[in-house]
Amino acid sequence: MGAITWFCFSVVAVNSTTVALAYLLAVMAVATRWGLLVSTVTSLAAMLGFNYYFLPPIRTFTIADPQNWIALFAFLTTAIMASHLSNRASKRAAEAIQRQQEMERLYELSRALLLSGTDQTMASQVAHHVVQVFGCDGAVFYDRASGNLYRAGAADIQVPETKMRDSSTQGTEFQDAATGAVTLPVSLGGHGIGSLTMMGGTVSEAAMHAIANLVAIALEKEQAQAVANVAEAARHNEELKSTLLDAVAHEFKTPLTSIKAATTAMLSSNSQTKAQRELLTVIDEEADRLSGMVTEAIQMARIEAGKLRIDKKPVVVEKLIGDIVDQSKTALDGRTISVQVEPGVPLAEADPDMVHLVLRQLLSNAVKYSPPGSPLTFRVATKNGEIVVSIVDRGCGIPDADQAHIFDKFYRARDVRTQIPGTGMGLTIARKIVEAHGGTMWVQSRPRQGSEFFFSLPVAKEAVTP
Amino acid sequence: MNNARILVVDDEPQIRRVMRTSLTEQGYIVTDGRSGEEALERLRQDHPDLVLLDINMPGMGGLEACREIRETSDVAVIVLTVRDSEADKVAALDAGADDYITKPFSMPELLARIRAALRRLPVTPESANRIVHVGEIEINLATRRLQVHGNEVRLTPKEFDLLHYFADNPNIPIPHGKLLQAVWGPDYGSQVEYLRVFVNQLRKKIEPNPAKPIYLLTEPWVGYRFQIERQ
Repeated sequence: MGAITWFCFSVVAVNSTTVALAYLLAVMAVATRWGLLVSTVTSLAAMLGFNYYFLPPIRTFTIADPQNWIALFAFLTTAIMASHLSNRASKRAAEAIQRQQEMERLYELSRALLLSGTDQTMASQVAHHVVQVFGCDGAVFYDRASGNLYRAGAADIQVPETKMRDSSTQGTEFQDAATGAVTLPVSLGGHGIGSLTMMGGTVSEAAMHAIANLVAIALEKEQAQAVANVAEAARHNEELKSTLLDAVAHEFKTPLTSIKAATTAMLSSNSQTKAQRELLTVIDEEADRLSGMVTEAIQMARIEAGKLRIDKKPVVVEKLIGDIVDQSKTALDGRTISVQVEPGVPLAEADPDMVHLVLRQLLSNAVKYSPPGSPLTFRVATKNGEIVVSIVDRGCGIPDADQAHIFDKFYRARDVRTQIPGTGMGLTIARKIVEAHGGTMWVQSRPRQGSEFFFSLPVAKEAVTP
Repeated sequence: MNNARILVVDDEPQIRRVMRTSLTEQGYIVTDGRSGEEALERLRQDHPDLVLLDINMPGMGGLEACREIRETSDVAVIVLTVRDSEADKVAALDAGADDYITKPFSMPELLARIRAALRRLPVTPESANRIVHVGEIEINLATRRLQVHGNEVRLTPKEFDLLHYFADNPNIPIPHGKLLQAVWGPDYGSQVEYLRVFVNQLRKKIEPNPAKPIYLLTEPWVGYRFQIERQ
């Protein structure tokens, strides 16, 4: 200011307008560099200098011409306004730079969160990443799911846990007046998943909210990934179990084949005594039983592994029932079987092999749980556009408590568990097969009166030639 | 007593042991092998009448061995399998097997199937010297040979028997059960999948366009018809 005054007053003779403009330039420069307060002081000094040296009478603070009062006032107002504007512009520029830096840091944080290793949980890494990227003195993350606090940066940040918990549950923000620590809720879709406290550093409020959002997204992503991993692992596990069961079951079939072939070869030769023959028959029957269980285990494994193949075609259910009855005659032990078919029952759309399995299962079930010599009845009818097949027995019936569970895997009714052999897989397999056809299976039963097992099959759309 | 030669191929020694004992007792001459490769080797050396072939074997499996056998031989093949889905059965028949049996099986059942596989449709006096001409097809019932467009076409014994039965009963629908019992034997009747596979194989060998057969026609819900008179 002095230099301008000296230069304009002593070196070159310039008019007062030029001096005023030069002063204004200086005031603006000062405003840009040192801020509003300094520039306002500078404006006042410039006004005094302008008055003292350039407004007549020169070298006095008095002003003779009232016009010059206006000029002086105009100069002061312009200088102050110019310093204001200039200062605001420089502030804006600084803010823009800070915002850009924050954007860059937010980007860096999102990268750090995305690329963070899976050996530690995301929650335990959040505070560390925030401190590292934003250079604040310290950060604390409260993970609501585990209830843990994770700290990073200055070890002496003391944030009350209750405050952080409140922030995460109620979604409120806190600012600690003493330390300047700011606590923000971390939530996604309105659901609080934690809270984050940051201390020190120059992070704008907007950036803090952005950090909280980024953290929320990262945590959510981690959780979704974890859920997907668990599902994938469960699927793998189930597949492995099924493959193993399948392999084991096949291994069992090999020795069974030798046993079965050997006993049946001996039995067909008729060269044994009655007692030997009886013992051989026991071996043969037990080999059959073991083989049946292994077959069930294989079917169960297939069904569980989703490998159940249903090859549907139009089938005459009555004929399938006839086949099963023919094949099971020796096992019926005097039980009589009648088949009641409603007139006009259409063809079913089903896999005959699979329906065979279901019918065989239901028949062997009925035989197991009804007294020898009692009657069994197959019924075939059409109901609600479906074919409904059922088998009625006059057996021990099923207690109400067991009815809800008899289709569950490995479930066996309490009363019969120790008396009647079985694996608890048969009905599960039968129901799964029926469901794979789009049908349902259910039971109606009264203890000591008997049971009726039902299953439904879809009606064939059109008769297709075999 | 039988004196047919049977080759038992299974990687499981106990199964080979039981088979050898039981089949020898029935009068069959039994040799055995442990793998598909060995089956092909034994087939060349021992000239068996029937091969009992396990499906699940290390190395060359039963199905592949069966296909290779069919490249060079008309020997009867029965496949032994633990799988009993229709797809598995059809795969075995498609590979060229005459029959299959599911493990574990009873010996009387196996013996019945061996008899059925070794059985040939008896040559009746009427068919003794008969040569049937249908379009471009020439079936020599006495020498069991088939020519299509003058070229010799190989048929497995069961394929030939099926064609023979058709040739003896032309132009009428023949039910599935009747065909099965005539060609495979009295224990058969409901195994429609056998017919589907064998009729398809025959169609591939004799029909100009197997997808639109003109000789071996399907009779919906009944069976098949061998059409030799033009309608």
